[in-house]
Amino acid sequence: MRRGLMQWNPQELPRNALDTRLALLREGLRAEKLDGFVAYTNIARGAAVAWLSGFQPYWNEGLFYVATGGDVPLFATALSKRVAEWIGSVMPVGEVVTTPKPALLIGQKIAHTSGKRIGILELDDFPAGHAQLLLETAPGIELIDATNAFARARAHVDDAERHLLDHAARLADAGLAGIDPARATSARDLLGPCDEQARKGGAEECFATIAPDLARSGSYLRTDTVGPLGKSFAVRSSLAYKTAWVRRARSFTSDPSLATAFAQAEAALEAFKAPEAGRLDPALRAHFAGNGMEVRSWLAEQPRGGYPLTRVAGSNQGEDVWQAGAPFVLDIELSLGDARWLGAKLIA
Amino acid sequence: MTSPAHHARLKALAESMKAEETDVLVLFGNNWHADHLRYATDFGIQEGQGIALVRADGSTTLILDDAAEADRAKDETQTCEIVYAPSLVKEARNLLSREGNRKIGAAPFHLLPYGLLHGEKDLRVADGTNVIERLLMTKLEIEMDAVRRAAKLADEGYAIFRDAARPGRKDYELVAEIETFFRTKGVAENFMIIGVGGQEVRGMAPPGGKVLKQGDMVTTELTPCVDGYYSQICRTLVVGEANEAQKQAFAVYLEAMEAGIATVAAGVTAAQVAKAENDVFRKYGLGDYVTSEYTRVRGHGMGLFPDQKPQILEDVHIPLETGMTIIVHPNTYHPAVGYFVLGDSLIVRDKGHELLCGTPRQLFSVTSH
Repeated sequence: MRRGLMQWNPQELPRNALDTRLALLREGLRAEKLDGFVAYTNIARGAAVAWLSGFQPYWNEGLFYVATGGDVPLFATALSKRVAEWIGSVMPVGEVVTTPKPALLIGQKIAHTSGKRIGILELDDFPAGHAQLLLETAPGIELIDATNAFARARAHVDDAERHLLDHAARLADAGLAGIDPARATSARDLLGPCDEQARKGGAEECFATIAPDLARSGSYLRTDTVGPLGKSFAVRSSLAYKTAWVRRARSFTSDPSLATAFAQAEAALEAFKAPEAGRLDPALRAHFAGNGMEVRSWLAEQPRGGYPLTRVAGSNQGEDVWQAGAPFVLDIELSLGDARWLGAKLIA
Repeated sequence: MTSPAHHARLKALAESMKAEETDVLVLFGNNWHADHLRYATDFGIQEGQGIALVRADGSTTLILDDAAEADRAKDETQTCEIVYAPSLVKEARNLLSREGNRKIGAAPFHLLPYGLLHGEKDLRVADGTNVIERLLMTKLEIEMDAVRRAAKLADEGYAIFRDAARPGRKDYELVAEIETFFRTKGVAENFMIIGVGGQEVRGMAPPGGKVLKQGDMVTTELTPCVDGYYSQICRTLVVGEANEAQKQAFAVYLEAMEAGIATVAAGVTAAQVAKAENDVFRKYGLGDYVTSEYTRVRGHGMGLFPDQKPQILEDVHIPLETGMTIIVHPNTYHPAVGYFVLGDSLIVRDKGHELLCGTPRQLFSVTSH
């Protein structure tokens, strides 16, 4: 669940930024001749609603309805009645209604406004129970996948989002800055401070994970399953500040023979800038070369839909959906001779 | 390699599938509702979503739509086949189509992806809630052990929380200290909300940046997760010395909680426990404050989900069973002092209960260090 700072600050996320986002969505809905749009939200898939409203439910679930015609959006949530006022205080747009059956309420609203063609974000993944209730409550409506319509609006990256991402990246950096491989005794001891620094700085969420022994595996593990710490390890902090998600990962080593190579790889990651034109893959392979460095695999993530970060390009896939010019998180694995090195960073 | 608790769960699940004549059980989950997936696969999902296909012969396929999560699952779980698929629905439909005319059940049914049930060809998938719901509510002895360990960490966590609460600190800094403690103890998940202030506070929520000041009440519920199992504690503290009204309010909540706990035993309904709690409030003229206007539930079950059935409410007539793990918490708004919480976790036993929380039942006072 989300248990870090949740607060709306109009200086960080001005109301007019949200109005622009809604206007862009409505433009897309009109282009596809849709009467309205419904997005589902919970802690795993809350990014679309967060982008439109500034709000991420800390628990439970909800539906966010935007009528193409321009009514105030409606947020119906199964969170309890006593937190409705609180939601209103941290969610700058939309009418908030708490109800055990959000789809019933949204369906009634759609029926009342005679909506027929209703766009659903990620229809395939939309909870079947909510879909069924929408269809029953607003007879004759058609549910149409509106993922692309939303993605076109979402391609707009405003200053507010860039600033929130920068702040999130600084928090993630702060969490990793205190790690001293020479003093580390256990993997768990490394994850605690990483989480602490992020949350004390106001992170809404922090998933601190560790690849405890890079000689064995490059998989990031949680504190509940992590094994013994090897000489080289990597810590990854995936965190949200005011609903803006980033990842930052650094590799550490207490092996003196690897120290220089690890430092060079980190410096290369720090220096990487996305190409203004052209593909990422050749740019990455050219940048991370020399000094025995070689790209083993990479992954780029951007926010596109319900998930905070969506895989948009990588060494094992194309780059068709990568949005050049927009911020993205780069996760990269390098070979440094025989050694594995992992890193991740917001490329803004 | 499978953990003893997971091994025991798989055995219970196989028996239940047989009893419900289910050939394939489809379980869906994500970081919010991780319980069904965890039961069958022992994987604690953090990002993305997952679907597990559990077959009657015990073979299980776990499909995850996040590549890093799939890598982690391969490292952590050796009992099932792990498949990474960017389209969860497409992969699950593909695998289910190979099951032929076998009887397929799914849970939690209302959360299943729409596309899984409705595609070019609709799949015949029945509601499989009956196969797993009772297993989630009523724990095996080995599961109770994890809940006990979680309760112990909840106690230790509350001591950290109490120590962190002092004038001038922000509410989210308290949460940060708790989380740090839990991470170093191997706790990956924790359900926690907080309230800071006085009469104006109507409930708990995530921290909003409030600064603790003298006279504030600070309410919290901590719910650490150990090996997938949650246990909860609810306590209220006062920054500085408690005033008379706060002390009197505490006495009501203590009496209500103890009345509720004294009622708990196998065969007693959730409604009876709630009534025992609420009758204390009514006795003191506070009956209005036990309604949904001011409170959500008077306790609830816990396990692989931190807020599971049975909800402790006067209209919930589910009988408690030996092995259910629940919290009794008469948390609600008090008109004189604001939102107030007090709750302990228990295991339901044949003739009573086993108390899991060891933190003293008192209204704590904290002062500047």
